[in-house]
Amino acid sequence: MIIDAHMHVDDLPALGWKLDADLCIRRMDEAGIDAAVVMTITDWPEVNAKSIEFLAEVCAAHPGRLYAFARIHPWYGDEAIAALQRAITVHGFKGLKLHPVTTIAHPAGTETLRLIRAAAALDTPTLFHCGDEPLTTPLAVAQAAEECPEATIILGHMGGYFHVDEAIEVAERLPNIVLETSAMPYPEKVREAVARVGAERVLYASDGPACSPALEVAKVRRAGLAPEAEQALLGENARRILHLVA
Amino acid sequence: MIVDGLTFVGDSLFGHRATTADLIAAMDEAGIDRAVVCPVKPRTYRLAPENERIADAARQHRGRLVGFGRVDPLLGDEAAEDADAALGELGLSGLFLHPWEETFRVGASLVDAVVAVAQAHGAPVLAATGYPWLSEALQVADLARRFPDVTFLMTNGGQLNISGLGQTDAELALAQNPNLLVQTAGVYREDFLEGVVERFGAERLVFASSFPLLDARLELLRVRELHVDENERANVLGGNLVSLLQLT
Repeated sequence: MIIDAHMHVDDLPALGWKLDADLCIRRMDEAGIDAAVVMTITDWPEVNAKSIEFLAEVCAAHPGRLYAFARIHPWYGDEAIAALQRAITVHGFKGLKLHPVTTIAHPAGTETLRLIRAAAALDTPTLFHCGDEPLTTPLAVAQAAEECPEATIILGHMGGYFHVDEAIEVAERLPNIVLETSAMPYPEKVREAVARVGAERVLYASDGPACSPALEVAKVRRAGLAPEAEQALLGENARRILHLVA
Repeated sequence: MIVDGLTFVGDSLFGHRATTADLIAAMDEAGIDRAVVCPVKPRTYRLAPENERIADAARQHRGRLVGFGRVDPLLGDEAAEDADAALGELGLSGLFLHPWEETFRVGASLVDAVVAVAQAHGAPVLAATGYPWLSEALQVADLARRFPDVTFLMTNGGQLNISGLGQTDAELALAQNPNLLVQTAGVYREDFLEGVVERFGAERLVFASSFPLLDARLELLRVRELHVDENERANVLGGNLVSLLQLT
């Protein structure tokens, strides 16, 4: 079983990006992916106050194939926490997604930590965009992971292009960090991450459909892992972290 | 024919290392026929001897390797002399600039002297691109605008940003400068590459692996998985460089 832990469904005319669920399913089928977690590129409630209901409908239309993470702006305080709780308990969302580039909310800011803790209280993980920009680097996100040891913190892109070694280092130091492989272009770093933090804390994802799920699966396979470790990355870890029954 | 637009041979100050034999083996494993090979920045910091090594490698593997010379524009007249030697007596086929490793702003006027040498030799200029502050797509575009007769290639799709924040600038650079092409290695978002083909034509996109920094087989797959037609793919994989570098 292959589960993709990071895909996008959204429509952003301003950027010319149209990423719909049908395209996700086509790309998943091309790559032999059974299920995926989808999220918007916009945040609730700015600039997308309807994102939660929108994703709930998308997932309902593709049962067993698409699951959702709620992307929420931390600055909305109690409203943000209520929106997250509604997404998870009413609509069955599987976690929280935070992208500090769009929110300029620091990963370890007070409001962000409240949101991460609210996700953890519902036994769901927080996926951070973790790349090379300020507010998203592994050392910045690690501040949040250290403050919230009860939360599972997923480093999406595991540091991007220039911060991959730091992502592996913070994952070695903090057991609640999970490294997520999407778009990061180095298969040998997937192998190194498994060797240094264990296969159970490295998660396959593509950031598709804009990034190629087929290429991203091939990257994990190119890492040359033992079959059990490869299966953990490609499916078992996501199933455990997201509490998927299938 | 599959032609890789960027590879490195040498022992780099920055920790990566590959011999000519390593490169040929990686090309054979991936199914790559020919490759542009560039010097690394060596522990001595001296680029000119590396250019000589690259020229030797290209001579020894004439059917497989095409050598580019690397210069540091911060060295002024010496850089222009090195560029002239690389493209003249050493017989190299283009200039490679690495603004991040040599620490210069690629659009700065001091770069003009070495680009003028490339222009005089009718040679293309390949710029390591996507590095913040020093080599962003619009900075390379600024240089390309001053030399409309020179073909410039930007590595990494002209942008190294895993949020996609550099893509619009890369597209503007392509839209405004017909003498500018982009390479495919390590690019964030395959739909950006597909968009380059759709908006600007397959002739503006060139396959590159950045071996040994990136995995040659995976980088080739990045192009093979693109949703483009087979004529376009053939141009990206080799046809464009066969024309540009007059490979036979």
